Amino acid sequence: MKTAKPLILFGAVSVLPLAALAQQPEMPDLSKWQCNLCKFETGASGSIEAGAGNVSRDSAKFGDYTGLNEKGGYFIGEAATRYRGADGLYWNVRASDIGLDSRSAALEGGRQGSYRLFLDSDAIPRYYGDTARTPFLGSGSTGLALPAGFPAPTTGLMPLAATLQPAELEAKRNRIGVGGSWMPQASAWQFDLSYRRDNRDGTKRTSGAFFVNAAQLVEPLNSATDQIEASASYASGRLQARFAYYVSRFRNDVASLAWRNPFVVPAFAAATTGQLGAAPDNDFHQLSASVGYQFTPDTRASADIAWGRMTQDDAYLASTLNGTLGAPALSRGSLDGRAKTLNANVRVNSRITDALRVNASYAHDERDNQSSRALYPWVTTDMFLAVPRTNNPYGFEQDRLKLAADYRFSSALRASAGVDQDWRKYTYQQFTKTDESAVWAKGSWRAMEKLDLSLKLAGSERRNSGAQVVDTIVPPENPLVRPYHLANRSRETVALRADFAATDAIQLGLGFDSSRDRYRDTSIGLTGGRDYSLNGDVSAALTEQTSLHAFATHQEIKSQQAGSQAFGNPDWGAETHDRIDVWGLGLKHAFVKDKFDVGADYVYVRARGATSVDAGVGDPPFPEQSTTRQGLKLYFTYRVDAQWSVNGGYWHERYRSASWALDGVAPSTVPNLLAFGEQAPQYRVNVFRLSAKYSF
Amino acid sequence: MTFKHTFAAFLIAASGIAFGADAPAKKDAAAEPPGQGTKYSEEGADTCLACHGEDAKVLAIFKTKHANRADKRTPFAGLQCEACHGPGAKHADAGGDAAAINSQKANSWVPVAERNKMCLGCHQGGARMGWHGSAHDANQLACASCHKVHAAHDPVLAKKTQADACFACHRQQRADFQKPSSHPVRFGKLACSDCHSVHGSNAKAMLAKPTVNQTCHTCHADKRGPFLWEHAPVAEDCTLCHSAHGAPRPALLTKSPPLLCQSCHTHVHPSVPRTGAALPANGGAGAVFVVAGSCTNCHSQVHGSNHPSGVKLMR
Repeated sequence: MKTAKPLILFGAVSVLPLAALAQQPEMPDLSKWQCNLCKFETGASGSIEAGAGNVSRDSAKFGDYTGLNEKGGYFIGEAATRYRGADGLYWNVRASDIGLDSRSAALEGGRQGSYRLFLDSDAIPRYYGDTARTPFLGSGSTGLALPAGFPAPTTGLMPLAATLQPAELEAKRNRIGVGGSWMPQASAWQFDLSYRRDNRDGTKRTSGAFFVNAAQLVEPLNSATDQIEASASYASGRLQARFAYYVSRFRNDVASLAWRNPFVVPAFAAATTGQLGAAPDNDFHQLSASVGYQFTPDTRASADIAWGRMTQDDAYLASTLNGTLGAPALSRGSLDGRAKTLNANVRVNSRITDALRVNASYAHDERDNQSSRALYPWVTTDMFLAVPRTNNPYGFEQDRLKLAADYRFSSALRASAGVDQDWRKYTYQQFTKTDESAVWAKGSWRAMEKLDLSLKLAGSERRNSGAQVVDTIVPPENPLVRPYHLANRSRETVALRADFAATDAIQLGLGFDSSRDRYRDTSIGLTGGRDYSLNGDVSAALTEQTSLHAFATHQEIKSQQAGSQAFGNPDWGAETHDRIDVWGLGLKHAFVKDKFDVGADYVYVRARGATSVDAGVGDPPFPEQSTTRQGLKLYFTYRVDAQWSVNGGYWHERYRSASWALDGVAPSTVPNLLAFGEQAPQYRVNVFRLSAKYSF
Repeated sequence: MTFKHTFAAFLIAASGIAFGADAPAKKDAAAEPPGQGTKYSEEGADTCLACHGEDAKVLAIFKTKHANRADKRTPFAGLQCEACHGPGAKHADAGGDAAAINSQKANSWVPVAERNKMCLGCHQGGARMGWHGSAHDANQLACASCHKVHAAHDPVLAKKTQADACFACHRQQRADFQKPSSHPVRFGKLACSDCHSVHGSNAKAMLAKPTVNQTCHTCHADKRGPFLWEHAPVAEDCTLCHSAHGAPRPALLTKSPPLLCQSCHTHVHPSVPRTGAALPANGGAGAVFVVAGSCTNCHSQVHGSNHPSGVKLMR
């Protein structure tokens, strides 16, 4: 919320008050400051809430993240308690959504100024869909079998009508964190230690192929990620510093997913089973140091450096489960994957004069992939031996220099400008270097007493160099292709903003952002992109008891690309055009102040995506992809007395979507794709909730 | 209009504004300027609460960590209200003159940098080390722009409510998180500060970790590798294919496959234009390249493969 003040204040601020603030105040005699009117909190307080809710229908999409995926009743349970004792002792306990799969809880306590301990947990439910069907047996395990009647040459000849069954695609991430801080008395140091474990269990969608025949599969998930961070921080006077050690350890109990080939190709009849490799165990260790130093009241420098090491050395799976191929032995049993990371930066900022401030920073990021490189005999989709290939351990380096200055022309006008330089180096890619130069300028103007305007313009040019042929990429890409992250590019952006305080109680805001990318030297690949958005906001305190907030955003994203079927000059082009509208309205009203509050929130989201491909023939176009979601939440709180209150709510949400990738695609629709037959999600769900809350 | 023309127009306009901008301030120069004085109140918080003691929003400070006297670092172990609001004698003597106190509110006459000094004087280490010169500092954000220091539970410190404070300025991100595919910020399962170091960092977009990928890997460590067969853009920057805040299509992809993949892959079957003719309703020639998972129907290991035969990311 932004409220304007008369320009008299701003004008005067620029000349007098800074001097006044700079004067040293006279220290008072604190012994006279008894704080008799201070209502310090002691003892225990909090609230417990319990009730019931009801969901009108099953919907995986609606239940994704919310845990409200099943029709029927659910328990509403919330609790928040706190204790404040003598000598700074404190405890906070909180539990939310106890009756749902999305429940969370947190416990925090300690002696303020001395130590702090915490323990928290959070459950994040994912429901990926409820319309998938599969004939595979053993979904959720690491081995998928097929019933009688398989394999068959095409999906149309498979006995799907009798064998399809619902495929459960859902997972849960359970997170638990524990840690603490220690602040030694009369010391400038603080020591922190935290541990977090993320367990991920369930299933997700994947797929596997035997050459041109593919099947969608249910992949099991059972992994744990442990993260530990220990740090020592120092802050005193002009110097602040932090030293930290961070380790992240990923362990996957699922090494692979094997599945029976539902397709039979007589020439490759021995290719009966495929095996997908799951994400391998890996570790990341990082040691870091940060320091900040205040040279003068107006000049400060800060720097960070972090050394990291990524490792991965999981034993390889067999190159094929097809024993008839006589696949050569592998030269190695594991990758011995190692990548060193280095991230370093330094920043200096200084107020040269009261009006002029400058900022300079330099950063270096590096991923030096030192993994082993070897020639691997490989088998194409368990069907036939292929020409051995050498792996490419990709490495990257990035250096960034930023210079910026900010000048205050007057109390009503500021301007800033800067230049950014970005140098990158790549290994095993089409270009070894890119250099990008950017310049930007921004102006902020208080045009009227209650009107603020700002405009930012930026432009950048990226050029690549060091073209090379990477002979380990087989077959080679079209030599005319320019991957968009390596291609020469011009980028122009504009951001315009207006904020108007119509009254002290009503604020309006309008914004426009635009970005345009041009890839003038690209004939194959992404050739252009455009993104613009308009947004507006209204925030109003209509009366002392009624407030309103509304917003609207319209965004359009366009891109163009070209391809070549002839492996030469472009002979086809494509354009995508996304349009997204998001509207929201919120209203709060106190029917009886501090007694009976009501509110409503409405959101409307519509996303449309058009795809057109011009191949020079009269092919039919793609239908528009679209999603529309409308949500209305109504809620009330009635306070019966100082202890008891009643909360209630109604949530209606409607979701409609259309996708040419899903709609009308049944498991047997595509002869060489055994699909799940999922359809674009639709739902209309009503949720009622009523609960009682007791505060103490 | 080209960018250069627009840029030149902007500079000209800014110059004009610069010459004229001081006029309104000069018009009011005769009025008495605001100023706080250097004298503290006679009785500290008791002086303040004599007037503000009935305001529940003010009194909520006593439920916060700032009002824990056992912790000698806190305001109420020292200068009490005036630790953050500055010397208050002039304000009290003038019967509550707003121009004589640092209210820490958005409409305060005190410059943002001076207001922030009151907080940074104590909160100078840890995450605040990178505040000076950060994007939020440069854009004149006050600490109180995001923090409700008097609230018993500061909304910006809670996962479920933090984003509302951020969306006050980051309106595009507010829309992004409503898109059909997004990270679960609107469900209260992810906070902006889980990925961004909001008090300042030298990483791209003030990320919490030094790089995009290191930030993403805090939750998606299965994508970290290093893999035997890496997909170069995956190893470099997740945002080359994913819109981190939200997208109109599944998996937060910037563009639907196969066109997303065909932006870089041009040999053999990716070189073939896939039109509406590939849809089953139109004959379905080449449908396996377009429908369901499109390219990932076969190349399901797009984030990298450690399978010896995974060079095509199919195993």
